[in-house]
Amino acid sequence: MHAAWTLKYKPKSLVEVVGNKEAIQQLVDWIKSWDKGIPKKRAAFLYGPPGIGKTVTVEALTADLKMELVEKNASDYRTEEAVKRFAGLASQFGSLFGGKRLVLLDELDGLTGTADKGGVGAITEIIKIAQCPVVLIANNPYDPRFTNLRNYCLLIEFKKPSASEVMKRLKVICETEGIKAEESALKFIAQRSNGDVRSAINDLQALAQGKKALAYEDVSWLGYRDRQETIFNVLRLIFYGKTCQGAKQAADMADVDIDMLFEWIYENVSAHLTDPSDLAKAMDSLSIADLYRGRIRSTQDWSFTRYVIDYMTAGVAMARQNTETHGWIPFKFPERIQMLSRSKTERAMQLSIGYKIKRKCHISANRASKEILPYLKIIFRNNPHMAAGIAKWLDLDIEMVNYLAESKKNADIIAQLLS
Amino acid sequence: MWAEKYRPKTLDEMVNQKEIVERLKSFVKSKNVPHCIFAGPPGTGKTTAALCLARDLYGDVYREHLMELNASDERGINVVRETVKTFARARSIGEIPFKIMILDESDNMTADAQQALRRTMERYTETCRFILCANYSGKIIEPIQSRCAPFRFTFLPREEHDKYLKHIAEKENVKLLKDGLDAIFEVCSGDLRKAINTLQAAASLNKTVDAKVVYSIAGRAHPADVQKMIEIAMNGNFIEARKHLRDMIQKYGVAGSDIIRQIHTEIFRSSIPELWKIKLADIVGEIDYRLVEGADEEVQLSALLARLVEAGYELKKAS
Repeated sequence: MHAAWTLKYKPKSLVEVVGNKEAIQQLVDWIKSWDKGIPKKRAAFLYGPPGIGKTVTVEALTADLKMELVEKNASDYRTEEAVKRFAGLASQFGSLFGGKRLVLLDELDGLTGTADKGGVGAITEIIKIAQCPVVLIANNPYDPRFTNLRNYCLLIEFKKPSASEVMKRLKVICETEGIKAEESALKFIAQRSNGDVRSAINDLQALAQGKKALAYEDVSWLGYRDRQETIFNVLRLIFYGKTCQGAKQAADMADVDIDMLFEWIYENVSAHLTDPSDLAKAMDSLSIADLYRGRIRSTQDWSFTRYVIDYMTAGVAMARQNTETHGWIPFKFPERIQMLSRSKTERAMQLSIGYKIKRKCHISANRASKEILPYLKIIFRNNPHMAAGIAKWLDLDIEMVNYLAESKKNADIIAQLLS
Repeated sequence: MWAEKYRPKTLDEMVNQKEIVERLKSFVKSKNVPHCIFAGPPGTGKTTAALCLARDLYGDVYREHLMELNASDERGINVVRETVKTFARARSIGEIPFKIMILDESDNMTADAQQALRRTMERYTETCRFILCANYSGKIIEPIQSRCAPFRFTFLPREEHDKYLKHIAEKENVKLLKDGLDAIFEVCSGDLRKAINTLQAAASLNKTVDAKVVYSIAGRAHPADVQKMIEIAMNGNFIEARKHLRDMIQKYGVAGSDIIRQIHTEIFRSSIPELWKIKLADIVGEIDYRLVEGADEEVQLSALLARLVEAGYELKKAS
């Protein structure tokens, strides 16, 4: 039997709610003020990003104060008629059974389209004359449709709980479930959730349910796949990173592979770390990262990749000690890669001559085109006799001779000697 | 091309690498050759030694028992799976039961291809022996290294270098002056192929080869020179210095080991304070070692350039 942990571990009391202590206190004070008669604002408007415990807070509050909760959400008040149907509920101070009542209108953002306009208007009307506390919940209270409504409400902001607050909750869940969880693993989940407690608990359940222990390795693969960053943001995190962990995580976020990321860092490092000693340190880190790439190649042990990442990200980030940050410096595409795609035709010609040399000289076409070709050029430009002899021996065609001789005049003399 | 014309044909003709040649001769005598790695800088006779060994072993028909493959042209795994395997498994006819496969520039093979090669070497040892030529043996995976007899080629000593070039100059009716010879050695630092090419290109300009001609050839063949690069770096312009380096490696194909050796020489020749020279030598040595371990030439050397930028900055601050 596996219940969703978000339900199973839903706070039963306000003390269990993660974070937002201030907002909760504000809400409690307002509710208590009802005991002394109807306050100025008959409704509280709770707002903030999803998954941070707004609804849960209200539910826990009514449980703590033993109030009757009348909960309605978007689908229940889509039209003016629908709203009027429960307007009567709010018009009475207490319930039939004598308890105090709280009306909760959740998911106000769900009101969309023209048909709902009546909905917001009707809600405003109900609040004006409400005889019991009404709580409204939305993500964005500054939506123009709520302009009038806002005037009658006490606005209470709910903020994202910090990672450590989320982590505390995750810890409690693990303890209850009998899971021995590594601190770093929970921290990772908490950080990744970005304050969304609901998604953090969902993640925890997906990763840990049925296990006795949870290690960092079990969760790190989650990565940041759904929050992938562009290469520029990744580079910024590396060049301006303050912590090793932050710079290292940047590598996970990148949408390019490790080797390409390396090229990006290698190309741009000198523009962003301008102090000579910082630059020397950063370049040394890149050099060591590259060294590990060499070791991976020779040993075929790919687990060394982690050191490549350490040095190319954290190593570079930690090199910044004297360089001052000023202004915005643009990132350049790796020139080394660009150079390879440029001047294709010329390289093709060089390579085809390289292949001719290769047949005779026991050297690769690649190297011949770089190492021997420059000498051939000198000979072909200056000594037609020697050139003709070589052209014949290498079996060069007329285009190749033209290329090596450069000028038409030289090429013609060589051609004459050949015929 | 003179470099080819005067390439030794037999092991007896090889003037350098004496100990290596002796060991290879003993292979010929016993008519048995293990898998070998010939490692060393360019122009030191690795390919020549392999070719000579084959010729001495099989006689004039050596081409039938030999295959040469250049890893930097065909470095993919398919080449190993198909070309190499097909050649390796076919039985040899004749007195010697195995053939020889020369894998030149094998440090340029991809890791996958090397893995495939390792299996092929093992499986067809009876029918084929491999000679792997490489600049850096560190770029060859360990399982292959452990299957091979290692041979370390070194640069030609000065006398042998001179003797060889003088011999060629004489045959080609070129007047090679003493300062011309010195200049060639300085420019090519013992890379014989480069030296012969330089000699030939110089001779194409002038029948008398002196230092001036040699330097002009070197300047034209490799316009971006090491000295200038160091100067730019010491003056604080890392990006420009790296551009020089990149040109040298990508456009002119200068080997990283050559560049680092020249930097090493330049440092002790320059006017920087003595204490810094030894500091920099340590860094140069470390980078050289990383190159041997199989890292990327441009990345390693530009890390060195960054150190030079730092050194230049510190010196300026002190003065």
